[in-house]
Amino acid sequence: MVKKRKYSSRDKMISLISNDYRLLQVLSRFGIQLGFSDKSISEVCEDAGVDCGTFLTVVNFINNENLENIDINSLSLQSLLHYLKQSHSYFLDFYLPSIRRKLLDGIILRDSDVSFLIIKLFDEYVEGIKEHMEEEEQHLFKNVEALINHKAISENDFPVYSRHHEEVGIKLRELKNIIIKYCPSDSRANLLNAALYDIYRCEEELESHCRIEDFLLLPAMNAHLKDK
Amino acid sequence: MISKKSYNIIIAETAPIILSGLVSSIKKFKDLPANILEVDSKKSLLETISLEKIDLLLMNPTFGGLLHPEEIKKSSLNPDIKIFAIEIVKLNRSSLSLYDGHIHVADDLTEIRYKLGSLINPKKEKGEEKENLSQREKEIISFVVKGFTNQEIADKLFISVHTVMTHRKNIARKLQIHSATGLTIYAIVNNIVDLSEIKL
Repeated sequence: MVKKRKYSSRDKMISLISNDYRLLQVLSRFGIQLGFSDKSISEVCEDAGVDCGTFLTVVNFINNENLENIDINSLSLQSLLHYLKQSHSYFLDFYLPSIRRKLLDGIILRDSDVSFLIIKLFDEYVEGIKEHMEEEEQHLFKNVEALINHKAISENDFPVYSRHHEEVGIKLRELKNIIIKYCPSDSRANLLNAALYDIYRCEEELESHCRIEDFLLLPAMNAHLKDK
Repeated sequence: MISKKSYNIIIAETAPIILSGLVSSIKKFKDLPANILEVDSKKSLLETISLEKIDLLLMNPTFGGLLHPEEIKKSSLNPDIKIFAIEIVKLNRSSLSLYDGHIHVADDLTEIRYKLGSLINPKKEKGEEKENLSQREKEIISFVVKGFTNQEIADKLFISVHTVMTHRKNIARKLQIHSATGLTIYAIVNNIVDLSEIKL
């Protein structure tokens, strides 16, 4: 069971992971390698050249989505942007391809039943996420970069909520339900379950990712604009 | 069964136009008797919610500086309180998922009534949404998955394109399937079409 708490820079990095293993991914996306022995969060961040304030804000936000505890001013736009880009790459280059492999293990692929259509549905879903993330990188992230480089951005570009999240979410729910309800009866149960577990987890991670964009990135951009 | 109970609804919205619009809309639902309370600050919201048994909170997500729905539920006297977002700008699904539902400013009265009803009387309204398709709907599915356009389907069945689209909307709602590939899978598994008839 994950305990909700607020971490400070003096806590040991290991205590973070022991309490909430989901935070392992946050580490890798920030570029922090495992093998940090008993060092504190601030020491590990310093060694890895990571902005500790941003790291802690993201970690605390994921662990305990209480916005009252979040200090937007402790965020570095640059670090947060780097983190979000790494998240995109994690989903597109690692997680979704790995789920596809697991699906292929679980479903016996043949063209005489719906198995190949299930894979097609999955591929369409991935394509939707990819398009969404690419659009985000071309617009939202470009604006963040402009802000970091002290360039003006037009009011129209601001704040850009992700319009496609909803659509992508509906597709994901559909995908899970279709696999569960209509997969061929000779599918390999354990392997298919493994793929389904991953899809559920991926959905949670994607939602958390979207909330970081909405509740950390956008307010941080607004705060940055107000400072001017 | 019609319950005579009236519902306690709080509206946390500071914009007067939206606030009064919501109040008068809800009052139009004669079958949904409601006591509506208005709050103007985070403090009065949390106070009211901890003292009275509230069935539903309608709130602007930015009310009181981004209050987390879970936090509100913690201080609520009624543990089963439902919290709906008042959606003025488009929110994404993950933010909306923190709420039990949402009402969009552009929703018409039927939609608002439906959303409120499904929440307050979950059993009654949900049971109606069975996935039973009519014969006509099955016919439409078979054309759709064979790649016919709405116009072609309309011509074949001697109905208007508008009717075809209404059927398709109902199919999507009943099956919770929105993509053509998903519909194809459904149609094959349920023997509405044969795999060999599908153009891929």
